[in-house]
Amino acid sequence: MPELSYREAVRDALSRAMREDDDVFILGEDIAEMGGSMGVTQGMLDEFGPERVRNTPISEMALAGAAIGAAIQGMRPVAEIMYEDFLTLATEQIVNQSAKHRYMSGGQMTVPVTFRTQGGSGWSPGAQHAQQLEAWFVHIPGLKVIFASTPTDVRGLLWSAIYDDNPVVFFEHRTLYGIKEDVPEELEPIPIGQARVHREGEDVTVIATGRLVHESLAAAKEAEEQGVSVEVIDPRTLQPLDEQALIASVKKTNRCVVAHEAVTRMGFGAEVAAVIQYGAFDWLDAPVERVGAKFTPLPFAPVMEEWCVPHAADVLAAIQRTVQRNGD
Amino acid sequence: MATEIKLPRLGQGMESGTIVKWLKSEGDAVEKGEPLYELDTDKVTQEVEADASGVLLKIAVGEGNEAEVGKTIAVIGEAGEKVEAKKLEEKAEESKAAKVEEDEQEEGSPGAAREAERERGREPAHITEVTEIRPAAHADGRVKASPLARRIARERGLDLAQIRGTGPEGRVVAEDVERAATGAPAAPAAAPVAAEVEVKPLSSIQKTVARRMTEAWQIPVFQLFVSADMTRALEIRRRLVELSADSGVKPTISDLLTKVCAAALMGQRELNALWTEAGIELHPNANVGLAVALPEGLIVPVIRQCERLSVAEIATARADLVERARAGKLRREDLEGGTFTISNLGMFGVERFTAVLNPPQVAILAVGAVQEKPVARDGEIVVRTMMDLMLTCDHRAVNGAAGAGFLQAVQSILEEPGLAL
Repeated sequence: MPELSYREAVRDALSRAMREDDDVFILGEDIAEMGGSMGVTQGMLDEFGPERVRNTPISEMALAGAAIGAAIQGMRPVAEIMYEDFLTLATEQIVNQSAKHRYMSGGQMTVPVTFRTQGGSGWSPGAQHAQQLEAWFVHIPGLKVIFASTPTDVRGLLWSAIYDDNPVVFFEHRTLYGIKEDVPEELEPIPIGQARVHREGEDVTVIATGRLVHESLAAAKEAEEQGVSVEVIDPRTLQPLDEQALIASVKKTNRCVVAHEAVTRMGFGAEVAAVIQYGAFDWLDAPVERVGAKFTPLPFAPVMEEWCVPHAADVLAAIQRTVQRNGD
Repeated sequence: MATEIKLPRLGQGMESGTIVKWLKSEGDAVEKGEPLYELDTDKVTQEVEADASGVLLKIAVGEGNEAEVGKTIAVIGEAGEKVEAKKLEEKAEESKAAKVEEDEQEEGSPGAAREAERERGREPAHITEVTEIRPAAHADGRVKASPLARRIARERGLDLAQIRGTGPEGRVVAEDVERAATGAPAAPAAAPVAAEVEVKPLSSIQKTVARRMTEAWQIPVFQLFVSADMTRALEIRRRLVELSADSGVKPTISDLLTKVCAAALMGQRELNALWTEAGIELHPNANVGLAVALPEGLIVPVIRQCERLSVAEIATARADLVERARAGKLRREDLEGGTFTISNLGMFGVERFTAVLNPPQVAILAVGAVQEKPVARDGEIVVRTMMDLMLTCDHRAVNGAAGAGFLQAVQSILEEPGLAL
């Protein structure tokens, strides 16, 4: 079993798809010679050449539009948006074009495009380079949204995204690129719409995405020492959402915490909380707790940034609230 | 070293008691001899003192829960000392918990196993907390309960309002319902309980009254009835009220009657008696019990040695007992040692009734309302203020003549109070 970093796992999925399938190509800003601002596509220019590893002008709208056009024409492009903050510039193309063509053409055309992007706090990139905007895209019918948290997941899900006939917005987290994991020699595609139980538990279910999956696992470990058994689930696919897996888990544990790095208000966790309260209403023994960033633009200052975004301690506190008893 | 506080036996025949209220919370410092909790036994609710000093580490039997004599209900020890809550709980559940086959846990998914546990009313193993701190918040009339707690309560036909919540702000959570379910027999899930039927759990007093009244009903009794002219007695009472205006306690007809009965009992000792298997105990003092109706049931506090007390003294003793009875502050000895009972429903306008015996006492007097009635006197019908008295006697211990003698004495004294001098 080779050990791959999250970054290498993304590259592995892209490279394998491009080796096996001439329809797959990548495009984005500085992805060729520079290998991407995060180094994800390093070395790919050498292997696949400039036709398939295409640097684009600094226009997210243009590169997204080009990718969509190519997809409609039968290619399977993977466009890299350097920072997810810059998705704002490509939103017209992604939301109004890619998400709508299949529907508006009565199914005559498909748009098998993948928009890879990354973001997140933890390295002081400031308010314009650290946001977590995944919830915006979950709100758009016609898009699929993936947020992978481990090397195995990111590889298997990216493969599935490339081969899905619908536009997929694929979120990666900046601070996860370095984490390593043994992955199977063979790339096993992970079905879109399938949650992953990272850890089984009896008392509380923590439903977490991205970086917060790892924070939640750390919190679960601490909770365990305090006698609280925590189940940690990563939906991995935010749209479509594996509602049944989440509901089944909460029916077992009777308590739920949702955790993500994005701001709590109108965050993805709000949707999960709604799904849980409806699907597991008669099983809930405590209100669903939400963990997310404070409602503020992220500051540059590292200590201030740290303070704004959630960590394991915040998840642990939420876990404790769900099992709280008077007199404890 | 921690001291386990066990439920004490406060009197003969006491087998269990219900913790009404903890006067200390977990973590509070407790001095030996300080009131620790209020205990409801089959006779009385009383404060019980701590029999050790230290910190109240653990409350093992929550408010509203019943425990058997000798069971550990709390632990007092040094601050920071660890209490094995689970162990304690196991002890607490020993007598009640149905044995659960361990292999049942193997069945199905963990979720199914937990669900199955819940159906059986068993606590999930990892939850060891047994403390109940305060009742659910009902400030707006709505019981705070989690959806899961509501579902379990619905399935088992339990009234959430009767369950103390231990969650944040007194919310009733699943654990609380499960605990309540182990204390009360669960309704079969298949038989839905009609919403309008309210099941009120029996208080200890009600259970005792039920048992003793059923017992009393087995006893062969006879009843005797007289009607007393109250004209003179009422004059005396009016005068007594005037004289006692300063004391704040107004003598009542019951007080007068208590004094009259005591005097009559001294003349008819067979009625101032208790029936026992060994024989009939004839008592030297008239310890007269007064039936008092409380929301939680009927109790009979006793005024001792009434034959030695003045009506004013009886009134003072009676006022004290009734006040403490209503406040739930009676002591066990207030209810013990009675030799005769008076039950007065006159104040409710009841003309006459028969009282059920209060065993082992052999007689009880039922007192009706004081009313103006037409009576025949010297060949004429006149209106007099009358009161009906119905005496119920245990025919095993008392014959008709003795009962009649007593009743006649009571009637005579009421009509001619000077006879009691």
